[in-house]
Amino acid sequence: MQPRRQSFIAVPTDPCSGSLPALAMADFSLRPRLGFKGAGTADWLAAQGLSLPPEPNQSVKDDQGRLIARLSWGEFLLLGDFAALQSAWSFETAPLCFPLPRLHSHAWIVISGDAAPKMMAKICGVDLRAHKFAQGRIAQTSVARLNAIVIADRIRGRLGFHLLSDISTSQYLWDCLCDAMLEFDGAPVVLEALAKESHGQTDAQG
Amino acid sequence: MKIMNCPLNGPRNISEFAYGGEVKPTPDAQAPTQEWADYVYYHANQPGILREWWLHVPTSYWFIAERDVTTDRIIATFKPEEVLR
Repeated sequence: MQPRRQSFIAVPTDPCSGSLPALAMADFSLRPRLGFKGAGTADWLAAQGLSLPPEPNQSVKDDQGRLIARLSWGEFLLLGDFAALQSAWSFETAPLCFPLPRLHSHAWIVISGDAAPKMMAKICGVDLRAHKFAQGRIAQTSVARLNAIVIADRIRGRLGFHLLSDISTSQYLWDCLCDAMLEFDGAPVVLEALAKESHGQTDAQG
Repeated sequence: MKIMNCPLNGPRNISEFAYGGEVKPTPDAQAPTQEWADYVYYHANQPGILREWWLHVPTSYWFIAERDVTTDRIIATFKPEEVLR
């Protein structure tokens, strides 16, 4: 019987050691995230004090390190703890702005390492090299033949990506990524190794 | 690899797109059944340059493409609001 590949529970890196593989990948799927969609969404989010990216397929970070991604003129994906925003929303106060829960629809995988664009080139047709795909850019495209949202970011001071894809096929995607990163000395790590709380220099929030 | 330019997302592999049929004027809601049947079931299916609906599947974004159906060459793509005013 063929041995099972690295799975979501594989944790080969000690988060306290401070060292990371050349290419590291962590599952952020248990971290909070949500979305809003509708013609009135940008106005309502701006009224809540959020700085929004001016164009679709761009993202910005707020002063808490949370990521605000604009997927289209009227659709936003918010990575991080936006519980206060969720509480503030209601049909009456947010006209033409509708919540789009993402916690159970999309898996969230974070990749960190300067070889990340090379690794992604094996499974994604979009040129994700840093000089073509700057920090904050978003590609909504196909990754390992799955629909996915790719967001460029600096994670622990290295090139990196947030990858969001349908949660029902996320084990397949995880296996594909594990396979693709082998030749770049990549490995899965525990979430804390890439999350903000455990490293001052880390950008990834959750 | 065949590339199509999505007006929202930029150039993408053709495998990310789905065909949505010819662009044609929608009949009036009160139009005769025959006219609606023609609209729904009949297509020109002629060689030459056609305007068609295409979907960028990862973003569920519908747009219009001008395509030479004889050579399968994509000539241009448009946001719907640029064509349907």
